[in-house]
Amino acid sequence: MATVVGLKGEHQEFAEEAETTDMALFVRTSDESMQGWDRRKIVDALVRETFIDLDTAKEVAREVEELIATSKIRMITAPLVRELVDAKLIEKGLEQARRMHTRLGMPLYDVDQLILHPNRENANVPHGPEATNLTLAERIKKEYALLSVFSQDVADAHIQGDLHLHDLGFVDRPYCSGQSLEYIKRFGLSLPNSIAMAKPAKHPEVLLAHMVKFAAALQSNFAGAIGWDSVNLFFAPYCVGMPDRELEQLAQMMIFEFSQQAVARGGQAIFTDLNLYWEVPKHFENVPAIGPGGEMTGKTYNEYIKEAQRFAWALFDVYKGGDGSGRPFFFPKPMVHITEKFFKTEGHMDFLNHICEVASEKGNTYFVFDRGETAKISECCRLSFKLDQADLNDAKQPWKMRYCALQNVTLNLPRIAYLSKGDDRQLFSKIGERMELAVKAHLEKKLFIEKLLALGEKGPLALLVMDRDGSPYLRMQRASFLIGMVGLNELVQIHMGQEMHQSKEAFKFGLKVIAHMRLLSEKLSQRHGMHFVLEQTPAESTAYRFAKLDLRYHSPQSGHIVKGDISRGEVYYTNSSYLNNAAVLNPIERVRQEGLFHPLIEAGALTHIWLGEARPSRSSLANFVMKTFHQTQNDQIAFSPEFTTCNACNRTSRGLQNSCAYCGSQDVDGITRITGYFTKVSSWNKGKLGELRDRYRNQAFFKEEKDPVAESPVQTCHAV
Amino acid sequence: MESVKIFVKAKCPKCPAVKEIGMNLKEEGFPVYHYDLDTIDGLAEASYYSILSTPSIIIEDDQEREVVGWRGVVPTLQEVKRHLFGALS
Repeated sequence: MATVVGLKGEHQEFAEEAETTDMALFVRTSDESMQGWDRRKIVDALVRETFIDLDTAKEVAREVEELIATSKIRMITAPLVRELVDAKLIEKGLEQARRMHTRLGMPLYDVDQLILHPNRENANVPHGPEATNLTLAERIKKEYALLSVFSQDVADAHIQGDLHLHDLGFVDRPYCSGQSLEYIKRFGLSLPNSIAMAKPAKHPEVLLAHMVKFAAALQSNFAGAIGWDSVNLFFAPYCVGMPDRELEQLAQMMIFEFSQQAVARGGQAIFTDLNLYWEVPKHFENVPAIGPGGEMTGKTYNEYIKEAQRFAWALFDVYKGGDGSGRPFFFPKPMVHITEKFFKTEGHMDFLNHICEVASEKGNTYFVFDRGETAKISECCRLSFKLDQADLNDAKQPWKMRYCALQNVTLNLPRIAYLSKGDDRQLFSKIGERMELAVKAHLEKKLFIEKLLALGEKGPLALLVMDRDGSPYLRMQRASFLIGMVGLNELVQIHMGQEMHQSKEAFKFGLKVIAHMRLLSEKLSQRHGMHFVLEQTPAESTAYRFAKLDLRYHSPQSGHIVKGDISRGEVYYTNSSYLNNAAVLNPIERVRQEGLFHPLIEAGALTHIWLGEARPSRSSLANFVMKTFHQTQNDQIAFSPEFTTCNACNRTSRGLQNSCAYCGSQDVDGITRITGYFTKVSSWNKGKLGELRDRYRNQAFFKEEKDPVAESPVQTCHAV
Repeated sequence: MESVKIFVKAKCPKCPAVKEIGMNLKEEGFPVYHYDLDTIDGLAEASYYSILSTPSIIIEDDQEREVVGWRGVVPTLQEVKRHLFGALS
């Protein structure tokens, strides 16, 4: 780390500065040494780090020395010297030099708080020394990103809350990644910087071990989710002739391995998505299968359908049981793809009932709808990619199928509405300006990541430049750049005076906004030769951050708009293009209405159905899923039950309760879905707690009807 | 009274045929609305009716509820008229 004092290596000598004042002063440097005062080190640092001339540097150094000498202190820290130098630079109007000379770090008080208290920005970060390390590093990288990676207008827009640059603490990595098991099946586990190379796995347990280790390596190179395509199908050649008990054991190992905490970065469980199919996806039907030892088995994947189905079934058996306390597994997330072919594949109704039972009991199942000829791979909470012709060509050699989103930038839509004061033209033009700023942020991030990748296998992203099949692991030309949105509902409310569920006009206006963003993203993609796509950002903390900032900058108007409880500080904006969480809507109608936005949101969208304490029958959920597939455009749905788990007796009951239903202990944790994953409510940020209180649980709908979806007429809500 | 909504795009080979149907219906006094999916209004309206391909035609009743629709296909003028007159009777 560069410090003003304590320079090593490239120290420059300035002979004429030898007359540095001989002060009885010690400087405590950041590389843990104590040095005598030497003014030249200030000059060295200024010349090396900024563009100011030598004479000015000397002048600054002399003035700082005088200041310190007058104070008569005996010991000073290097950071303080740097701050004094920066103060002098400001005094002289050298703003650019001050910026370049900035020291990154945190106040003592903040570090103290961080070590003592849990991180509320990401509920997937446990509290512990490893997590503290992660957070400290993130803080510094975040500052670095805002000062050094992004231009000032982009950084200012982030700081002011016009938009949000996600995962700034991971600025030196791409955002998320989706891949195929075929890569490690074919090439084994041979990671750059690794001290041992493993050949392709011969046994299913070894393949699983490779998968988990590779996922951990990927987690160290990506900020967010790690997705795996067609997991049950690609495991199938290893499961031939495996007895049920062993298969169940394998499924159990897979889920526990990915769900256990403290396996990797910062004690975080790896945010893992397992994409599963009941059928053999069309694009893999005639693909030669890779089996044990990385050898081609001589068969195509079509011939492994039985093993693939057995493994998928076994995985859901494990999900149904939950963990050792009967709690739902938080990770890995099972994403079941429902396609036209699904309904033509034998046994699909039994499997649908099976996964619906898990959805009702534990909430794990995500139902991903791939209608028509569309094939998709899901990567993050709701991020999915439609496979184009080039991808389908890759499918013939599935190890080539790896995708990434480089960054996610989310727009604060309500802010735009406050500023537009009811004027349509202003509103649409400001959305355009913000989109262009988001694109600028993407271009800057891309440039930065390319700089790191250019350092090759000796650089920080060695894993991503690893080349085993003729192209680097990260294929930049296939990367997507995400543009998310928060608070469409509140934008409409501010602009039209009604929320989206309250009138057809308001709802249609919401569609217009997203249509505008979609058309702009296409235009910007063409202009820059990149792939900018809209995404429903999970916005776990962004919806809270934007609401808080708008309460500061757009009060009193924002006080009437933000959702939640202002007196408790539990404020938030409705996420992405969702309808108000508290709106009393029939679940199928919510799925239908929210689904009308989904075709416009190319990188994936999701509707949550909050179950509360309700435990619908599997057949009613299966009907609901079929109806969603056949009668709506909704991309993905998930049913979210709520649980209370007792830390005293280790049992889990239904609903969010203050005490344990079994032993009465008040040492309990609530568990439900926060955004795209389950976690303990105690780790949620205030905005999410506000949302949790507001969520309209559809208990009556599911409880009152035996088979509500099939039997009840669709309610026409609020004239939409 | 029923209205006809027509959804087209600039680069869509079958769209001129649907535009022609629209012109004929307009001449006969039916309210016909054109939506271009390359525009904001057009794309938003298409999304509202779950229209994912062009050309498409929707017939609505006076409550703006869809009576019948052709998505991604070109019906004959007679077919459309039959539904319009059917809805009237």
